[in-house]
Amino acid sequence: MSKSNIEEINRNIYDIKNKDEYDFKIKKGLTPEIIKEISKQKNDPEWMKEFRLKALDVYNKLELPTWGPDLSELNMDDIATYVKPKTGLSNSWEDVPEDIKDTFDKLGIPEAEKTSLAGVGAQYDSEVVYHSMKEELIKQGVIYTDMETAVREYPDLVKEHFMKCVPVNDHKFVALHGAVWSGGSFVYVPKGVKVDIPLQSYFRLNSPESGQFEHTLIIVDEGASLHFIEGCSAPKYNKVNLHAGCVELYVKDNAYLRYSTIENWSKNMLNLNTKKAIVGKNAKMDWVSGSFGSKISMLYPMSILNGENSKTEFTGISFAGKGQNLDNGFKVVHNAPNTSSLVNAKSISKNGGTCTYRSLVRVNENAKNSKCSVSCESLMLDDISKSDTIPTSDIRTDEIEFSHEAKIGKISDKTIFYLMSRGISEEDAKAMIVRGFAYPISKELPVEYAVEMNNLINLELEGAIG
Amino acid sequence: MITVNETPVRTARNFNINNVKLDELEIQEEIMPFNNFKINNNSVLSSENVSNSNLIYGLGDKLENQVKVNSNKKVKIVINKNYAEPIELEFELDENNSNLVENIEIIAEENKKADVIIKYKSNNIDNLYHNGIIRVFAKKDSCIDISVVNLLNENANNFISIENELEENAKINYCIVDFGGKNSITNYYSNLKGNCSENKINCIYLGKENQLFDLNYIGELHGEKTNINIEVQGALKDSAKKKFKGTIDFKRGSKKSKGNENEFCMLLSDTAKSLALPMLLCDEEDVEGNHSSAAGKVDNKQLFYIMSRGFDYKEAMKLIVKARFNKILESIKDAKLKNEIIYEIDNRLD
Repeated sequence: MSKSNIEEINRNIYDIKNKDEYDFKIKKGLTPEIIKEISKQKNDPEWMKEFRLKALDVYNKLELPTWGPDLSELNMDDIATYVKPKTGLSNSWEDVPEDIKDTFDKLGIPEAEKTSLAGVGAQYDSEVVYHSMKEELIKQGVIYTDMETAVREYPDLVKEHFMKCVPVNDHKFVALHGAVWSGGSFVYVPKGVKVDIPLQSYFRLNSPESGQFEHTLIIVDEGASLHFIEGCSAPKYNKVNLHAGCVELYVKDNAYLRYSTIENWSKNMLNLNTKKAIVGKNAKMDWVSGSFGSKISMLYPMSILNGENSKTEFTGISFAGKGQNLDNGFKVVHNAPNTSSLVNAKSISKNGGTCTYRSLVRVNENAKNSKCSVSCESLMLDDISKSDTIPTSDIRTDEIEFSHEAKIGKISDKTIFYLMSRGISEEDAKAMIVRGFAYPISKELPVEYAVEMNNLINLELEGAIG
Repeated sequence: MITVNETPVRTARNFNINNVKLDELEIQEEIMPFNNFKINNNSVLSSENVSNSNLIYGLGDKLENQVKVNSNKKVKIVINKNYAEPIELEFELDENNSNLVENIEIIAEENKKADVIIKYKSNNIDNLYHNGIIRVFAKKDSCIDISVVNLLNENANNFISIENELEENAKINYCIVDFGGKNSITNYYSNLKGNCSENKINCIYLGKENQLFDLNYIGELHGEKTNINIEVQGALKDSAKKKFKGTIDFKRGSKKSKGNENEFCMLLSDTAKSLALPMLLCDEEDVEGNHSSAAGKVDNKQLFYIMSRGFDYKEAMKLIVKARFNKILESIKDAKLKNEIIYEIDNRLD
């Protein structure tokens, strides 16, 4: 059977570069003076300035990870950690500068807002430039705003939850985030309120040799529910950009949160993001994750099942092409009785790309009668790519049903032969198989992203069999 | 404190599985002679020097150097004809032979077959120490079955490094029985460099009290149409702890190769702990790799059924454990050895 010669992703929408125009760009590097300047620019309260400086101390003390992809090309002296765009926060697209609005238009954000979203936040470089939510949700007491506004207007809620789920000493890049964070979204869904239509925040990094460090804090109070979508992209530059965001999710008792992420950063991006959820009694946390971009990605969303009968599901796909090393996975800690977790992870490697699935399942002594099932599948589309599966399980009680299974392989020659014997061309057969492989994940994505993912697969395989 | 048995690929440090740290272990430089060694067939012994080359992985420099520099037993076996009866090596540790540091090399010549049993036994005294290296070279078309049986007591320190190299069409089938040792640390590495070479590893472990098992099995597939199969079945009672690290590494060029890995840990108490890291590393497209890993307690329905037939709880539990191990026990051809292992299972589950 002939080999599939896969073309690189057509990224024309994402690679649109605007001029590197800004209101303020901090000088490169990471010193207490730079942190103080960021804090000043952001009008931080005193407690936040102190928090940032302590986080910088922690950052300086922690080592780089001794595992995973090589991060030696990252030099913080080459990265500007704060870039303030030439506009303030607006709740009307008309007030957003034309070139920035044009970028979000091309990414389809305002259109999606009109048709299928209950609220939108749009961040450009280090600050949120647009935030809006439907009137009826405001009336129900839902808060959806940028993090800076939340720090000022809801200090008690923020202080109670900010970097408590993900403490700054978690790892080096969380500490970095704590020191330089800027932008991001804050969502509070009051008790019993069901937000039926998703909210979406979109993060766009335009400035070269810079970093984006947005902080997303979502609190879904008791009995409430929410679907939150996070999208991110950036145009490609020659030098590395850094994304070290942080997502903290609190799913209180009997609540439900679905967090969908479509990550399509450019191929010069180091994506070192941290996401964690604390899940209460009878609550459920669902993660849906598509990882397509970045030069290097180290992303392991985590659910901590603290409440009895709490549940979590992770559904994720990674798609690594030339020059990409996507080290993704999922972590779950069962920390209460009758908890359950279900993991379904897939990866596709092509054109020399590397996909790694890295995970942790920890079942603590108190998690009696818990269940955990993990399945991961990896598809190699050529013989120059790489695919690794590195799953850890740590079981500390006997009252548990735990199983993990993984498969690595190529597209089955027999399946291609079968489809071709039914009159389907080899190209179409391969695309059909890859789409079928990705289908259990793509069906969980918001519909516009699922369509985009299928288009991506078609584009990559179209006329590329040789 | 020494750190031993590093995985070939590291994962996050706080997952606590990249290696094992032993607080109270000191590597002795002077080792007393070991005299309790028996072999049932002296004709296989070679007078040539045992290989002292560096291990690809091994348990770490300190333990490896101890064997290279201070071993108190060296055994080189050359299999240059087909043997119908198993070749049995037995090391028995006791008061007068409390430290065993041995270096074993087995060479299976082209197209030759043999069964080799390597057994470690002890009485019940404290402070026994075993650190050994077993190297196996399976030449073209050879076939060798090896049983490595650790029946030391639960207070010993037991370290074994196994390294295999397989030429074209060679087959090595291992049965590893790991029951003894306060710390029982095993590093296993196979290099399937020859096309169509095959390596099967069946392992059973049984932990009680505060025993720690750290099993680090690594199979590298280099040749085309190679095949590796790792099957690990274990049971842990009391506060025993097990770390299983299994790596199947498909190297570029290992086309049409297959690798399967299956690990199951039966938890017989609420304070036993099971950690597992079954890795698949893949640099080659045209391969099939699968792994599965599971842990859980004994099925209550099975237990109820057996007890309803008049067995008490302990006997029922033993039956279930033995049933779980049965597929691997059946692969042991030597009836005497099989019965000895079954006796040990009964004894250790009492």
